[in-house]
Amino acid sequence: MIRRPPPSVPSFRAFVAAAALLAAPGVLADPVKTAHVEAELVAAKTAIVPGEPLTVALRLAMEKGWHTYWRNPGDSGLPTTLEWSLPAGVTAGPIEWPAPRALPAGPLVNFGYEGEVLHLVVLEPQRSLTPGGTLVLKARADWLVCKELCIPEGADLTLALPVAGTAAADPRWGAPIEATRAALPRPLAGWQATAQGKGPTIELALVPPAGAAHPGALHFFPYAESLVEPSRPQVLTRDRDAYVLALPVSFNLTGEHRKLAGVLTAADGFAGGARAVTIDTALTGTLAAGGKTAPGAAPAVNLAPQSAPEGLSLIVALAFALAGGIILNLMPCVFPVLSLKVLGFATHHDSRATLHREAFAFAAGVVLTFVALGLALAALRAAGEQLGWGFQLQSPAMVAALAALFFVLALNLSGVFEFGQFVPSDVAGFTAKNRTVDAFASGVLAVVIASPCTAPFMGAALGFALAGSTAVTLVVFVALGIGMAIPYVTLALLPGWRRRLPRPGPWLVRLKELLAFPLYATVIWLVWVLGAQRDNDAVIRLLLALLCLGFALWTWRIVRTGGARPWGVAGIAALAAAVACAWPLFRADAGAVAAAPAGRTVAGADWQPYTSAGVGALTSSGRAVFVDFTAAWCVTCQVNKRLVLDSAEIRAAFAQKNVALVRADWTRRDPDITRALTALGRSGVPVYALYRPGKDPVLLPEVLLRGTVLDALAAL
Amino acid sequence: MRLLPTAVATCFVLACAAPALAAAPGAAAPGFTITDTAGKPVSLADHRGKYVVLEWTNPECPFVQKHYVSRNMQGLQKEWGAKDVVWLSINSTSASHAEFKSGDEMARWMRAQDAAPRATLIDGTSAAGRAYGAKTTPHMFVVDPSGKLIYAGAIDDRRSANPADTKGAHNYVQAALAEATAGKPVTVASTAPYGCSVKY
Repeated sequence: MIRRPPPSVPSFRAFVAAAALLAAPGVLADPVKTAHVEAELVAAKTAIVPGEPLTVALRLAMEKGWHTYWRNPGDSGLPTTLEWSLPAGVTAGPIEWPAPRALPAGPLVNFGYEGEVLHLVVLEPQRSLTPGGTLVLKARADWLVCKELCIPEGADLTLALPVAGTAAADPRWGAPIEATRAALPRPLAGWQATAQGKGPTIELALVPPAGAAHPGALHFFPYAESLVEPSRPQVLTRDRDAYVLALPVSFNLTGEHRKLAGVLTAADGFAGGARAVTIDTALTGTLAAGGKTAPGAAPAVNLAPQSAPEGLSLIVALAFALAGGIILNLMPCVFPVLSLKVLGFATHHDSRATLHREAFAFAAGVVLTFVALGLALAALRAAGEQLGWGFQLQSPAMVAALAALFFVLALNLSGVFEFGQFVPSDVAGFTAKNRTVDAFASGVLAVVIASPCTAPFMGAALGFALAGSTAVTLVVFVALGIGMAIPYVTLALLPGWRRRLPRPGPWLVRLKELLAFPLYATVIWLVWVLGAQRDNDAVIRLLLALLCLGFALWTWRIVRTGGARPWGVAGIAALAAAVACAWPLFRADAGAVAAAPAGRTVAGADWQPYTSAGVGALTSSGRAVFVDFTAAWCVTCQVNKRLVLDSAEIRAAFAQKNVALVRADWTRRDPDITRALTALGRSGVPVYALYRPGKDPVLLPEVLLRGTVLDALAAL
Repeated sequence: MRLLPTAVATCFVLACAAPALAAAPGAAAPGFTITDTAGKPVSLADHRGKYVVLEWTNPECPFVQKHYVSRNMQGLQKEWGAKDVVWLSINSTSASHAEFKSGDEMARWMRAQDAAPRATLIDGTSAAGRAYGAKTTPHMFVVDPSGKLIYAGAIDDRRSANPADTKGAHNYVQAALAEATAGKPVTVASTAPYGCSVKY
């Protein structure tokens, strides 16, 4: 950047400068006006003093609404450049960039400056310079100036300064340059900053010194391009002593990154009043390109060797997974299984060894099924499949099969038939001897049923598992499984706790029969889900199949208890009818899913179905858009819809703010919606996003409250 | 057994806090159907089995002009078009934006540049641009015959609007196509694009 031309050849400008100096000794600069920018070189002092560093600046004053760019321009644009031609005895340092602003351009965000900006450069005049003459500093400045339109501009700039023994502050530019220097981002003092890659996010953790006030909203501007996605929101959370700023990794992550360097701005300032500081810290962990469309060849970039913080965060993720596993037991689709299991503990008066064996068999069933799920997930992810945790329930065949299974279990609990009656006595004996196998199988069943019901805070562990390597995925899934099995194993290992379980008695029958009702409720829910996925015809087919199934099981009991043979024939006929009714649900699965109309049950009069283009068109027309990412099988979604979104209060608020309402129904696989979710950094529903024209979308919490929605709307 | 009804009630309440989750990293190039300058629909799926280059363009952008004034873009279009690579130039400028070009205007400009893409597509709703996350003009994507993205990013490594800079620049699209068609993996599959913002 620094060039030293031969000291001879006095230019015309130098001549003019010298002539002007004769009249009034001082600084001479010549602003250049381009179409949208006024550019000039200015100095902090009136003269060059040999041996004393002097700050000069490239001043760009943009026309209103136009901007130039920072050293990292963000999503588009180019940084301003400065190439010096300096006289002998003077060298120039690099540009010292003032903190940039985030400048939204539609859905994109650039980093740069509006209004007026001083790019500071420190000049080092040698001691050997002799006072008395005039030095002419020349520089070629090039910049891209944009509003809607982008125009590459440039200018050859000149600044003539006398060389003198002493210098005073420049009356015009001394103060602005000093102010700019005072506000330059400087290293963050007193705070401890660490950065860790966690798949699609980088967590920048900041530990404040004791007594530091909250710095307010933080924004990180990275020096490197293609590391942090400029347009995605950076979420600030408080983790015990540290502030953690989650930086979304770039969609097109390139190169290796071993450190995180850039400028961090704080709305309310850091301790000491600085509003912009520099961050330059080692980056550990692993990065994966953020969602959207990344080339298949570059999914993950490995960073510096993993160190202690990585291990710690893995432990945190494991703790979450463990806790999530335990909570899974309380989920409505698992609870019936848990009930059955606890029922088993309560009824059997077995030796401790038998109970231990059963508990561990159950635990093994749970853990191994989670491992299998984890492996399948990893394999599908490797195959580039778009898949989701809840996707089992996106298949109508799976829904129908689960409904039939739960219906049979419920009839069993209601006492319509006993499982023991099903099997000849020798086989029954076999089953009894192999209760270990039964326990293992019920462990498998519990997990299969649990998969659509992940608790909200388990999302963190799951996201971690999905973003991490296959090994990490498996470890997290094992932790989920162990968490889920803990209550059973605890009850089996700690006889004292088991003694707190109520003693067997007549209430057991009541309990068993009562537990049938959650199962019936589950069946109702599944039938409703099928209705949302398919049509009325499918619903009636399933209900008829369940009716026939119920009849068949009832006749079975009659035959087993000595009833006439024709009952058995009728039962077999009913079973055949059940299969015949349900058959089309299984056969026409794939085709019917694609053919079924979208969003019928979940879209309402005020709501339009989701397309990314539609949302784009609405926001570009200047309207805010509220998108309800939902699915029929997501219970939280339905609760939020009924209690909050459909309430008169909220509907009136939407109407008053002229917010367009869009419902993204993810009941069936929809790549467009999956992509939108990924772009929002989410992997499942519910998600409530408020898209605003020219700004980042606002995400509302998963458990929606009217106040939250009203606050978000008020902020529009 | 007063605990039991409570437990059942609790399990119903907890149902309210159970979202389902999914993950979706996608290596497949998003499909699209948009009309060309003559109003004929063109789909990415039409070109399965061939390499496809997607070039996000906007005649008003100095960075696009750089690569057309220097004939850099036309050279690539002709060289690879002759090798049966499908080149699609896409203008995702929103129909509501001042820089929007109709099919006729776009066709006229491309003709004036002596450009040779297989088709020039008018993405007035910006849907394709958003699906690909196109940020700048130019922003380049290369799709392989199986429909997988193999390159996304800048056209070359000279981040400027100066036409003279195309000489001596390392052209990432040229390199990706040369490697992929020779059966080699693409060395640089992702770079930061540069240019004007796409006018969404």
